[in-house]
Amino acid sequence: MSNQKKRNFQIEAFKHRVVVDPKYAEKTWSILEHAIHEIYNHNASGLSFEELYRNAYNMVLHKFGEKLYSGLVATMTAHLKEISKSIEAAQGDLFLEELNRKWNDHNKALQMIRDILMYMDRTYIPNTHKTPVHELGLNLWRDNVIHSSKIQSRLLSMLLELVHRERTGEVIDRGLMRNIIKMLMDLGSSVYQEDFEKPFLEVSAEFYMGESQKFIECCDCGDYLKKAELRLNEEIERVTHYLDVKSEVKITNVVEKEMIANHMMRLVHMENSGLVNMLLDDKYEDLGRMYNLFRRVPNGLSTIRDVMTSHLREIGKQLVTDAEKLKDPVEFVQRLLDEKDKYDSIISQAFSNDKTFQNALNSSFEYFINLNNRSPEFISLFVDDKLRKGLKGVSEEDVEIILDKVMMLFRYLQEKDVFEKYYKQHLAKRLLSGKTVSDDAERSLIVKLKTECGYQFTSKLEGMFTDMKTSQDTMQGFYASHPELTDGPTLVVQVLTTGSWPTQPSITCNLPAETSALCEKFRSYYLGTHTGRRLSWQTNMGTADIKATFGKGQKHELNVSTYQMCVLMLFNNADRLSYKEVEQATGIPASDLKRCLQSMACVKGKNVLRKEPMSKDIGEDDAFFVNDKFTSKFYKVKIGTVVAQKESEPEKQETRQRVEEDRKPQIEAAIVRIMKSRRVLDHNNIIAEVTKQLQSRFLANPTEIKKRIESLIERDFLERDNNDRKLYRYLA
Amino acid sequence: MPPRASKRKSAPPNSSTVTSSDGRSVSSKAKTKGMEKIDRLFNSYANSSLGVIDPDGIEALCSDLGVDYTDVRILMLAWKLKAGKQGYFTQDEWRTGMKALGVDSLSKLKKALCELEIEVGKPTNYEDFYTYAFRYCLTEEKQKSLDIDSICELLNLVLGAQFRPKVDVLVEYLKVQSDYKVINLDQWINFLRFCQEISFPDLGNYDSALAWPLILDNFVEWMRQKHG
Repeated sequence: MSNQKKRNFQIEAFKHRVVVDPKYAEKTWSILEHAIHEIYNHNASGLSFEELYRNAYNMVLHKFGEKLYSGLVATMTAHLKEISKSIEAAQGDLFLEELNRKWNDHNKALQMIRDILMYMDRTYIPNTHKTPVHELGLNLWRDNVIHSSKIQSRLLSMLLELVHRERTGEVIDRGLMRNIIKMLMDLGSSVYQEDFEKPFLEVSAEFYMGESQKFIECCDCGDYLKKAELRLNEEIERVTHYLDVKSEVKITNVVEKEMIANHMMRLVHMENSGLVNMLLDDKYEDLGRMYNLFRRVPNGLSTIRDVMTSHLREIGKQLVTDAEKLKDPVEFVQRLLDEKDKYDSIISQAFSNDKTFQNALNSSFEYFINLNNRSPEFISLFVDDKLRKGLKGVSEEDVEIILDKVMMLFRYLQEKDVFEKYYKQHLAKRLLSGKTVSDDAERSLIVKLKTECGYQFTSKLEGMFTDMKTSQDTMQGFYASHPELTDGPTLVVQVLTTGSWPTQPSITCNLPAETSALCEKFRSYYLGTHTGRRLSWQTNMGTADIKATFGKGQKHELNVSTYQMCVLMLFNNADRLSYKEVEQATGIPASDLKRCLQSMACVKGKNVLRKEPMSKDIGEDDAFFVNDKFTSKFYKVKIGTVVAQKESEPEKQETRQRVEEDRKPQIEAAIVRIMKSRRVLDHNNIIAEVTKQLQSRFLANPTEIKKRIESLIERDFLERDNNDRKLYRYLA
Repeated sequence: MPPRASKRKSAPPNSSTVTSSDGRSVSSKAKTKGMEKIDRLFNSYANSSLGVIDPDGIEALCSDLGVDYTDVRILMLAWKLKAGKQGYFTQDEWRTGMKALGVDSLSKLKKALCELEIEVGKPTNYEDFYTYAFRYCLTEEKQKSLDIDSICELLNLVLGAQFRPKVDVLVEYLKVQSDYKVINLDQWINFLRFCQEISFPDLGNYDSALAWPLILDNFVEWMRQKHG
């Protein structure tokens, strides 16, 4: 280059007015508009994505976003209106198909349009807070198609129509349903709810109201529940197939309300098929179904529970007051156990071990078992029967199971101290007659009682076992130190500690010479090794084995009671004895003597004695002889038994009286204990506290407590407060 | 005075001829003339050998006062005297009592009896008098209860005037029931409270769950049954 004038290069800013064409926006827009048309007309293949994108981009860049946007709105709206018309024109079932198809088309178009207008979506729209393209497309669809007056209601009624058809057993196009519903969901949850879900729920409610009414008139409870369950499952399945998952709980609520909640009472109380019948017939499946359905509705389970409870209490009450059933105590208790087993089964198999039902069962049992005040005695007799023979040959585990069941009944008793009294009596008889099936079983039960009630409850019972063991040792010692006695009659003595065993009036009788000499030897031996003790022979409780030879030489070994032995031994020295002679010689009390003679003279197979006259009862003028003609196929004949029996009325009164007497000091001790620590306490609180303290043994009667308080006041243990009548004061 | 078997051994001494053989009138000169008169009055009824007024003397006193010896005012007098033993007044008791009443002659005593009724009627004194009445009747040393018949009579005497209808029904019940053969002090005191507090004859405000003695619970139940 030649030397020229220096010129400054100026770089000027690039001015965007590159295109000055005023029709630029117009032209660009029409290109895009045309593209949109093509897209909607399924002619998109001929378009160049890149070119269109650039056009849109330029428009926005050159500040024509507004025009672009509003143009989009207008164009799309126009198309949608067209589409709307074509959908409206569809006939019958084709309506939904057409709608679905057009929706798919629209979505595809929208996708493409959005891609093309992406730049606007990302810049112009956020800046101006306008609706983004995709959402705009949905809204326009909603407003112009779905909410168009000719489509909106038709759509809804078609959908509901299909659901109804399906409910009545027809097969419908679930795929189509799913798509349409999904469309509504895509349009927004409020559209789904307003345009479908709400009406759907209303219509469903009506439907199920009708259904339930129809069923309940013609079905029994079990069938009805089956149908209800079916419907419920059907609705749940419907939701998974073509509804919004959030609708599940709403529709199930509808079904639950219409089919179950509204008819709950009628179902439960339905004659011949209601809850009570199901319980009686052990219908586990039906009960389980009822449980599962009812737990879905408010108060469902409590309704079942309440009916079950009142039914249980009713049959329980009948059971314990039915004179027939009370004749055999063992049978009675077995019935109770059977009933408990039955309901345990029901609760575990049908009511999924629901704790509240268990509690209801327990409280019902507790209620009716205590209605009969002989329950403690009967339960003890049941145990007695089991421990004597019922558990013979039963495996150890099964023994434990039975004992545990007995314990469970024991827990229901309010008057546990009455049980203790009877149990002691029965245990004493078992131990002394050696008639217990298993020592282990006995001990096991004692342990269970101890765990339940504490040491004090069982200490005396354990004492009884200890006495038995100690007596064995004593006998060994006795014979060891008296070797000369091994040839004579064998004596077995059980030394009982007075406090532990049930109190018996000690009556002695005149023992035969051979025996009394032996007894004396034992007495001196025992007292020699134990100082400061007193022994009294309980002749009403012993047994004896004696060998007898009868008229024709037949020999037998007789197992008899001590009294019976005394009587029989008399005949070694006399052939004939009158009643009075026997009475005088033996010194046995009259009623016992009569029973004793009766068992030996009047019972077939055991009549080792003969009586004149041959009447059934023992008269004071009767005479007795040895029955020379006595025969028995057994060598060993058992005559006297001391089996525990249900008490007679007077015996029962006596026992109860003793129990009441025993309770008095216990109540007083409780009162004193409480007052000593509280010093001052008001009447109601004393009653409450005392009752609570004694609960584990018996239910204290408030009147009895009041009596004891007054007695304590009289003996200056307590006093009434001068000013406040309700207060008592402890006097140290 | 609750009836007590008394046989007159000798004619009651006339109050105007005072004879005292144990020399009691010889006492310190510090005694006022009033005390002398009181003593004189005492001696006029006292049993000379015992040195106390015995049941005979009291009977005589009653007749002079113009009151029946079963009259409740004599019991009130005993209360005022704080007499320890039923049927007897010792000289100390007499002296204390007469002084408290401000009385030294028979005529003054007569007047004082009327005022005594009013005094006993005061709420503060009444309960004390009521309790005293019970204790006064306990004759044996360790005795703590009174038999039903005595109680009934005592109730009539002490409460009859003020609580006539209640006492009548209560007495009827006590005679009919067989749970209790004797009544102790605790129960006695509660009879008064019962009469004072419980509305009659409906017994509406009686609550057996409260600390009333059992005998009253039974009484209320009996009454309710009787009146349907």
